[in-house]
Amino acid sequence: MTTSFLLADGSNAALITFLIYTLAVFGIAALSNQLLKSKSFMSEYFLGSRGLGVWAFALTFAATSSSGGSFTGFPAKIYTHGWVLALWIGSYMVVPICTMGLIGKRLNQVARASGAITIPDVLRDRFNSARFGLLTVVLIVFFMSFNLVAQFKAGALILKVLLNDVDIFKSFSLSVAEWASGVGFFGSDSQYLVCLLFFGVAVIAYTTYGGFHAVVWTDVMQGVVMVVGVLILLPLALNAVGGLDRATQEMSKMTPPMRGYGVVQLEGAATEIAQLDKEDWLKMSDGDSTRVFRVAAAKTINPGTKTVYGVELLEITTPSEIERILAGETPSEFVEGAAVTRFSDPGIRYGTATVSTSSAITISPYSPQVFLPTGNTGGEIVQVVEEVRLSAGEAKSVRIEILKISLHLRDEVDPEMANPEAVFSDLSTKAVSYEYGADTPGVYVSGPGPSATDSVGFLSLSVAISFFFMWAISGSGQPSNMVRLMAFKDAMTLRRAIFTVALYYTCIYVPLVFIFCCARVLVPGMEAEPDRIMPEIAVYLTSGIGAAWLGGLLIAAPFAAVMSTVDSFLLMISSAMVRDIYQRNISPDASEGTIKKLSYLCTLVVGTGAMIVAVNPPNFLQDIIVYVGSGLAACFLAPVVFLLYWPRSNVQGSTIGMLAGFSAHFAMYVMGAFFNDSFFRPYRLLDFDPIIIGLVVSFTVTYFATLATPAPPQELVRKYFYRRVES
Amino acid sequence: MASSPPSSSGEFELDPVFLNSRREAVVIFGLWFLCFIWAVPVSYMMGYGQEVVPGNVPTVFGMPTWIFWGIVCPWLAADVVTTWLCFCYIKNDDLGVAPEELAEATAAGHESTAGNATTKEGV
Repeated sequence: MTTSFLLADGSNAALITFLIYTLAVFGIAALSNQLLKSKSFMSEYFLGSRGLGVWAFALTFAATSSSGGSFTGFPAKIYTHGWVLALWIGSYMVVPICTMGLIGKRLNQVARASGAITIPDVLRDRFNSARFGLLTVVLIVFFMSFNLVAQFKAGALILKVLLNDVDIFKSFSLSVAEWASGVGFFGSDSQYLVCLLFFGVAVIAYTTYGGFHAVVWTDVMQGVVMVVGVLILLPLALNAVGGLDRATQEMSKMTPPMRGYGVVQLEGAATEIAQLDKEDWLKMSDGDSTRVFRVAAAKTINPGTKTVYGVELLEITTPSEIERILAGETPSEFVEGAAVTRFSDPGIRYGTATVSTSSAITISPYSPQVFLPTGNTGGEIVQVVEEVRLSAGEAKSVRIEILKISLHLRDEVDPEMANPEAVFSDLSTKAVSYEYGADTPGVYVSGPGPSATDSVGFLSLSVAISFFFMWAISGSGQPSNMVRLMAFKDAMTLRRAIFTVALYYTCIYVPLVFIFCCARVLVPGMEAEPDRIMPEIAVYLTSGIGAAWLGGLLIAAPFAAVMSTVDSFLLMISSAMVRDIYQRNISPDASEGTIKKLSYLCTLVVGTGAMIVAVNPPNFLQDIIVYVGSGLAACFLAPVVFLLYWPRSNVQGSTIGMLAGFSAHFAMYVMGAFFNDSFFRPYRLLDFDPIIIGLVVSFTVTYFATLATPAPPQELVRKYFYRRVES
Repeated sequence: MASSPPSSSGEFELDPVFLNSRREAVVIFGLWFLCFIWAVPVSYMMGYGQEVVPGNVPTVFGMPTWIFWGIVCPWLAADVVTTWLCFCYIKNDDLGVAPEELAEATAAGHESTAGNATTKEGV
């Protein structure tokens, strides 16, 4: 069947770009390592000797804040939900001034006054409390470890998406699959394993060897790639679509696609094993009209087969879009000699079901399962068509194949077929429309935007408020941002860097919304795998001007973004262990040589450990990232703000406030497990995100607990809030 | 109260970096709040629940009107205010010297002195 030759070209370019990147970051790490020899090791390795200039500080701050999500998840969301994403990301208009300006100057001053190198250092020294310092270390290591695993997974998944069609990558992955087939630990996805290995080794190696400066300089390089990529894509996209106004008007006619299962008829029986690839285009004659579909999941065709059942399809529903596709105005190449003959009717034997479980299980593909929808009567025997992993209490929609219909009694079930832990429900073979926005033109150009799963739409008012709060305010409470605020050289650097990052974000996020609104029009039917829209549109636009190398550069932007986030987190965890636990609590007199060896070792061990866990990572990637980001803000923002700006703040109030913020935020997630059947679908008190609850509780409790406990020692207040009058 | 006595002794005064930083933080938070009460209500009132005529959406510079007035305008305004804050309002305070910076500077000073001495001897 067809393959997208354009994407293959682009992926080859991505592979070359990846290799160039890898060489470049190793070069940077070597240069950084030279610096370590001439400076105080600890300060240089973890904080760059507090000497970051404007460009280094601005770009490392911007690149670390823009994780891989900015170039994969965000474009996918724009593509899927339309213009409303401008409001979703809206508070980035004040993110630079808030996250750098609210606490930056004062935090830098306090860190210098105390000689702090890490965030726990600052908190410990400000209150002169080793216990408080250790509490913050525990919280940072707890949250960051989760996040590190999740980010490793994100990096590997992005690389896998980018290299998907590269021949050498495919064949190498097959070799790895054969090698790893006997070892259950490595799972069944060899492509993921290969990507994780490449990504992990590169990041761990350059971070371990080069330390903070390597991370910062690679961030600078990656930050430049990101903004250059976006600024090149913008005019290409606007030119290709015929202007932004045309894109908006076309989007206003669009309705969300339908998803379901169909039957595909081939002109002649297949002579050898073949495949309908994901994203292949198919037609269906329906009287005078033609319906247009896109394959949503690859389907293998066995030799001799003429009729292919159970093909998961996405139906394009917008008439004007169908016209453009059929007229050849979009990069939509139809599979020759194949057509859809039926779509989503009861006899298709394939569908979806919800499977839930009370304990963690793994269901192997094509192992019979029992579906009994109502009490003890009626039902079917089904099998999942891909491996399903569920944690305790989790529910998930899965693709199933129906084996036998009209099972009458539970007693008839062969015990070997019944999986006592898994409960199947909501069996459906019908096409699924969006919960909000189906058959509604205009939904892509207005709020709250279409949603496949949420009946109130993508961005309700309360969610919009939560996000406006979250990006700007909770971003200020991220320790990974705070540590950068301790590293700039002087106040002038901070002022210029805020201005630079403000311009940088304006040049990144506003154009991204424009570009991917254009992409909705230019490249239809990407809902099957929206995370691929960035490489798809990059290759589509650059191949049009004969610059495949440029496509490779643009494709590398999301990879650069996730790399710059992972390296920062890695260094934060190892600094917490070496500086805050070992040097400050176990061996204060350790020699620089010992600290040096321990720092290298710790970064290497933490990174390798996270990579090993990421071989079998937990599900809910994005949910873990959100939980960690909001949890850190709930713990750290209030105590840090008070300790910087309120002389009355004390260790008791800050400790209680920190624990209260952690507990309130955690409670929303625990309540989610009870009320919404999943820990990662948190309870929304008054319909607000848990971050808002966590921050309100944390600020309130810190304030009142501080007033209710003894005032801090005068010498600490004097050290951090007063200065000697010069006569 | 522990926070007040140091200043009463006459030997100490509140650190101007602390005072400047706190004042700047209040202004920055105010900027966030202004952007918040501009962007979210305007976007909601102009962009939610409105009837859309397919193919005839009111636009400004190609984007839906509510995006322009609710997001792009406050974004540009926020950039202007941020620029003003950065170059006109935020003070260029001296943030002090960290202990290890002081140690390195001292060591460099010693080396420099030693170097000069060697040169002189050489001469």
